[in-house]
This record gives sequence, C-alpha cells and structure tokens, in this order.
Amino acid sequence: MPIYESLSSDKLSVVLDIGAAYTKFGFTGEFSPRSIITSEVLCSKTKKLRRIWDYESAEDLYDLLVDFIHVIFFKYALLSPKDKPVIIVESLLCPTTFRETLAKVLFYHYEMSMMFILPSHLVCLASLAIDSAMVVDVGYKEAVVIPICYSFPVVKAWQALPLGGEAIHNNLRTLLSSSNTGIQDLPESTLENIKVRCCFVTKKYRADQLGSAKPEIATCPDVKYPIGGAEHMTVTGKVRERAFELLYEEDNDHLCLSTMILDALLQVDRDLRQKLMGNIVLIGGSVMVPGFKARLKEELEMQLKNNRYSKLNISTIAFHSLPCKENYAAFLGGALYGATELLNMKSLTRETYFKENRLPDWINFKENVHCA
Amino acid sequence: MAYITGPDVVKYACTCGLLKPITHLYFCRYCTQIRCSFCVCHEIDSNFCGKCSENIPSSEARLKKNRCGNCYVCPSCQQDLSTRIASKGSANPEEAKSTPKKMYYLLCQFCRWSSRDVGIPDQSTVTGGWPKRENVHANRLQELVDSYKAIILASKKHQQDKEKKKRVKCLSYTDRTGVTAAAIRKRLGLPADMTHPMLKNRPKNPEPAKAKSEVEDLPDSIFTEPLNLAEIMSIEQRLLQPEQQPTTVDKLFPVHKQLSIKRSLRCRSCEHNVSKPEYNPNSVKFKIQLFAYYIIPEIRIVTVEPLRSGKTSELIVKFTNPTQHQTTITFFELDLDEVESVVTEEVAEVAESFEQSLYLQEKQQLSLPSLGSLSQPSSLLASRTPSITVKPRRIKEDLNCKIGIPESSFILLPRDDAAEYDDSGDSHNIQDDPKLVKWRKSNKAFIRLYVTPNEDLPLNSEVTCGFVMQHIYTNTITSKVENKEPQQYNHKVKVFLTLGNSVGCD
Ligand SMILES: [Zn+2]
Ligand SMILES: [Zn+2]
Ligand SMILES: [Zn+2]
Ligand SMILES: [Zn+2]
Repeated sequence: MPIYESLSSDKLSVVLDIGAAYTKFGFTGEFSPRSIITSEVLCSKTKKLRRIWDYESAEDLYDLLVDFIHVIFFKYALLSPKDKPVIIVESLLCPTTFRETLAKVLFYHYEMSMMFILPSHLVCLASLAIDSAMVVDVGYKEAVVIPICYSFPVVKAWQALPLGGEAIHNNLRTLLSSSNTGIQDLPESTLENIKVRCCFVTKKYRADQLGSAKPEIATCPDVKYPIGGAEHMTVTGKVRERAFELLYEEDNDHLCLSTMILDALLQVDRDLRQKLMGNIVLIGGSVMVPGFKARLKEELEMQLKNNRYSKLNISTIAFHSLPCKENYAAFLGGALYGATELLNMKSLTRETYFKENRLPDWINFKENVHCA
Repeated sequence: MAYITGPDVVKYACTCGLLKPITHLYFCRYCTQIRCSFCVCHEIDSNFCGKCSENIPSSEARLKKNRCGNCYVCPSCQQDLSTRIASKGSANPEEAKSTPKKMYYLLCQFCRWSSRDVGIPDQSTVTGGWPKRENVHANRLQELVDSYKAIILASKKHQQDKEKKKRVKCLSYTDRTGVTAAAIRKRLGLPADMTHPMLKNRPKNPEPAKAKSEVEDLPDSIFTEPLNLAEIMSIEQRLLQPEQQPTTVDKLFPVHKQLSIKRSLRCRSCEHNVSKPEYNPNSVKFKIQLFAYYIIPEIRIVTVEPLRSGKTSELIVKFTNPTQHQTTITFFELDLDEVESVVTEEVAEVAESFEQSLYLQEKQQLSLPSLGSLSQPSSLLASRTPSITVKPRRIKEDLNCKIGIPESSFILLPRDDAAEYDDSGDSHNIQDDPKLVKWRKSNKAFIRLYVTPNEDLPLNSEVTCGFVMQHIYTNTITSKVENKEPQQYNHKVKVFLTLGNSVGCD
C-alpha cells in the first residue's frame, strides 16, 4: 500500500469547493476534505474578516481571491500552485463575475496549468453511482434544486430561494431577541453554534401546534446557553423547535422548500418524474440538522395531496443516504471525478484560456462532462 | 517598533502598483525594481512541524497528509497536546522498580481534555500508535474510484481507436487495391494491431446506491430529555475533523498537527529569488534576502505644521541611507498617470556582462553544499516554465495636497556602523542647500519640505501627498564577481505620505 500511495501521490491535485460560508479543500482521490474553513480573508486595511462572496466589484473579488487562494495553498495544501492543475466544484448558478474572476486569479496570478470546473449538483451523484436524481442543495445563502437526468442537469427546471443558513440565523436572532430582552446583536458565529448545538427540525404536527395560539403540547426543554464568559441566555424549547420553520413557511408566492422541489419536478418530462422523486439527494451543510429528512418527507407528502401538485402522480418518495457528510458531498464528487483521466481530457488549460480569454459556458461544457 | 506595526504613514509604490510600507517590499537587484509579496511567485521551500521542529521532506509530508506523525493538537481547543506519563501505580514497590513500565497518554494543558476522556487506552511508547478513525465508507468509495478510472480510461481508448480507424479509412485505396490494413501496417514497419481483448471490453459500471423510503425519525427523547450542552460540540470543533465531524464529546479524537512551511519568493520577471530562508526550521535567517529596507533610503515623517486647506505648512522628513554607498537624492513631481514608472538608466550597456555574472551567481548558489539543493534540485529550476508577468495596476490613492518639489538635490552618506560610537561630531564637509537640509548626521538627513493641502479640502479629512524620490542604487554583484567598479543606477521610487487630518483656521 505505501508503494502504491507514493506512486500515486505525485498526481494529487487540489479540489476546491468555495461555498458562501465554508470552503471545502482537499485532494483528488481522497474521501474527505483536508480542511473545511470559513470563506473569509483578513482585510489588510481594516484588519477585519471579510467574506469572499460579499465582494463589491470584480477587482475587489480579484484581491479577495488572491489572498484566499494564498491561504489555501500555503497554509493548508502546502503546495506551490504554479503549473499545477486544480479542480473547482461550483454551482451551476454561480455568477459569471465570480467564475471569470476565479479563473483570472488561478491562471494569471497563480499560473496554474489547468482548471477542471465541475457543477456541484451533478458531481455529488458520483459517490452514489447514480445518474438521475432530484438534487437539493441547501447551503448558506440559498437553497437550489436542480434535477439531474441521465447525467444531464436539467438547468431549465432550476429553483432557488434564499432559504439557507443565513436565513435560519436571522430567524434565530429574531426568535432569541423576543424571548431574551437585551440580546440583540449576537455575532453570527454564536448564532450558528446555537443552531447546531441546540436546534433541530421538529415534526410537522408539533410545528403546527407550536405555531398556533394555544399549543396543546409541551415544548422540548429549555437550554441555558453561555454568552461571552459569565453570562447566560435562555434558548427556549420553542425557539429550538422553531428555528428551522422558515424553510416551510410559504412566502407571498406560496413558495417554500417543499414546493421548490415539486415545482422543479413540474418542469421535467412526465416519464422521469417518479424516478426523480424516488432518488432525492440532499446536500449542503444546512441539511445536516437532525430531523431534516423526515420533515421534508412529511412536507412533500402533504404538498402532493395539494391540487397544485396532484397531477404529478407520485406514489413513492425515497431519499439517498450519502457515504459522506452532506456539507462536503459536492467536494467528494469533485475528488472522485478529479482522480480519473477526465482531469487531463476535459480541463481548461492555461493556453486555451489565454487564447480565448474567457471561460467556456456551462451549456457547451455540460455536453462534454458526463461519465459513469 | 511602532512604525512597523502602527499605521503606515509612509508608503512606497511597488512596481505592480500597490502601496506598501518599506518593510513589506523587496528589491530585485537583477531587474532593479521593487517587488512585493503580491507580485512575486511564492514557492514552498520546506515543510516542518511547528511543535517538534522537525524537517519533513515534501514526499513524506504528502504521504502524511501534511501533518506531523508525532505531534497532536487538542480536538477541543486546537492547542498542542502534550504527552504525559501515567504512573502505573503498583501495590508492590519492589515490583515497580524491577519493571518500570511507563504508559503514556495525551493531555491538553489548556482545556484539560485528555485521551482518556474518550476511552483511548494509554500507550506504551511515547510516539504511541494512537488509534485512527477509519472511514466506514472507504471500501465502497475506493471501489467507485477504481471503476470510474477504468471506465474513463476505456472510453479514452475507445475514442483513440475510433480516430485511428478514421485515419486508416482515409487510405481508401486499400479497398480498391485489395491491400488489407494489416498488410499496410507490415509494409510501413508498424507493429500489428495487438490491442488486448481485455481492454476492448467495457469495464463494468459500479453498483448504484439504493434510495430508501423510510427515513430516520427524530428520537422521542429529544422532546423530553434536557440537553447537556457540555457534551455537544461546536461547529469549529466539528469541522476540525472534516471526515467524521463529531457531534458529541465522546467522539473527539486527537488530531495530528498541521505542518508549517518555509517559503521562498521569486521575481516573476527574471526568475531570481528575492527571499530564500535557511533550511533549518529553527533558523530565522535567510540565504537570500533582497529586502528593500536594505537598499532603498528610508523616509520617516518627523514633524508637520498644522494642515489647513490652501495654506502652506512646513514638513520635516528624515532620510536614512541603509547602504554602504553614498547616494544622492533628487525629487520629482509625481504623475499617477505615468505608466512606465520605474526608469532604470545605464542598464542596456551592461546587460550582457551582467547576465553572465548572474548566471555565475546562480551556479554558485546551487553548488553550495547546503541542504537547499536537496529541497530544490537544479533540474527543477531548469524545468520551470517562465512566469507570466501581470500588467501593473494604476495606483489607487487620492492625493489632496501639493508638495513643493525642491530644485536642488542632496547627498546621503553611506551607513557606518561605527559612527554611533563616534562623539567627535560631524566631520563631513558637504555643501548643503541650507533651505533644503535642516540638519544631518552620519547617514541621516533631515529635509525641509513645504506642503499645501488643496483649497477645497473639507475639515478633518486625511491629507495625503506624494513625490518621486530618485536615489542612486549601487549594484555590487558585478563588481564582486569580475572585480569591476560597482555599477550605479538612478532608481526612482514613488513615495506617499499620510500627514494626518486637516484642521480649521484659527
Ligand atoms: Zn508588487
Ligand atoms: Zn511534530
Ligand atoms: Zn484543549
Ligand atoms: Zn527580477
């Protein structure tokens, strides 16, 4: 085994999934990221942390990415980036400015040799060895649903709503400040920890009860949460159970997480619908909370009885269990794809990039990338 | 120290267009241009562990996933864990003497987490074979990787075969003449088509995963049992172990310490190092250190009169010559729109001999019996593709204050380390322009300048001015190698001064 490893170790390439909140970094052929770090850099002028995705302009983003990629390569990967390939896993809905600027930074500033760009919704299926699925990615900024049919992302059916970690944190902040006087400006890192340590997605009947004026059930126990050393605040049982409720509260257009999935399904060919609903894949950090899958199933079943979706004729709903943690599912797909010859066959080389001076569109690109 | 850590009031423009304090800049002697960490190429020189200070060759570092095999950090607070000896108390003291069996465990001195907390048995050796968590899905995932690799390889092969066939088809005369492809191959001296039949078969697709209709429900206890916060990990603690992401305290395992690196910096125009550290992790010295601080005169603001919009104030700045060579400072007007900023004169005529000497230098560096050549063999240097240089950017700085450019220039004497101990007073006989030079001592000079903030400057706004400083850079590389007179160049630097906030008239 060691001999094999030392032979193959020369071919290790960096895989990057730059998420809105966390960046997953690791190497090809490995089954988990080496590190999951916050997607922020220290601003040299203000000495404050800045989120990469909060960029003001393409030039601003260029500088942020230069700093961020530097940290990745020289603090974590410990690899000189020059003349090395890199695998980038990104959302199909990734803004053009971000994609173009990232390519510019990697090719011009870091002089990398190749860039292999993979759509996150597609590659996360690699670890399941399936080619069709309804992929639901609930990240930090938004939840994005894209059906994948026979290794083709049906991009026209995409659905996205700002339902993710950020919205949950804001909801939690509101809930906490109404039950604790004097607590308003909690830092987001504290809110995130309250979320992952105390909160969960409750069952539907409990959610309905807790939402009514006079609940007939007892809430789960309160938690005394320490704040900044000596002080404590109370995270009530109601808050713990209701923090995630906004995922299923329909907005003015009657849209929520469950309707997104079914709306996407309506855009897909009739024959494929049951296959997709029998293969739901949940990815993204926000789906890791206890009770998420069970509640989503309940909500989907309820919506399917609705007039709006009854014509879908769905008999069974089935979920996949990933062989990894959901927050790095897309990364793992990238690491699996990157370990194959596809890296050399389908990558965008520096020479091509300099000649064309732009990235190929996803539309052209998708034609080229489908394996398995 | 304050001028290193404090606000950067004096900034120099790097060739790439960024403004930085002089302590953050490099000076490439070969290009005679300023460089900074943004515009040089960073390379990893060596890997080492910050705790045990052991150098780890890059191949071994890769194998160990960039972590030290012997040192661990606390999974709870990320501080270094220390190995503790467990006194294995025996009831019989004589027996304890005869068999001193030491056992070891890991302890965090900061948060008191210990390897015993999670039930890891004490180890009999210091380095310990501390157990690793295995990925339960590893087998399945390895199977997938292997079959994907095979599938892609097969399809690549298939494609190549198709292309080959196409090419053969082009020689369509084979059909008419009745000559078979095999015969042509033979005639052309090509080996017969001997594709292994195994490779022609498509590899099997891996077994797809099955989705389940039954999903795991919340345990009923979650609604009734009180939550023990001390047992539930924070997000930072979970992400420290990305593979497992332990949610409860009993699943925390010691984490191998991440290695650190030493970096060398290379000029992207000429491929020479501007900074290269010594190999030994304990050494803070450099083999190559072309810091601008050693070459370019340093400027510090001494005093400035209160700044009022439209009014002229006196500004005293101190110039210090860090080099062993006398230099002359001349001021020029700053023009931000000028693209070719750094003008180096007299370069062309010496270029050839210069390059030769560089080559010699480089060779000498490589033949040094240092360990450096181990980490970066000469073949590696040769195979490097030349760097691409990125176009310099426009300097982003709003100047809101005019500075009177003095017509005369002044001389800065070379640095003399002994001068500090010399009380005999200033023995220089330099004819200074008394309007310009206020005072001078050894390699320092205090210069009087006049600044006028713009008329329309609002109260309490930060006043920034700039000028171009030309100094004489004496290149000593050529002279050392060929015993020639050192070459001198006029080197221009754009300097920006932040003078403080404007005040109202009183
Ligand atoms: Zn620079
Ligand atoms: Zn160590
Ligand atoms: Zn600790
Ligand atoms: Zn240079």
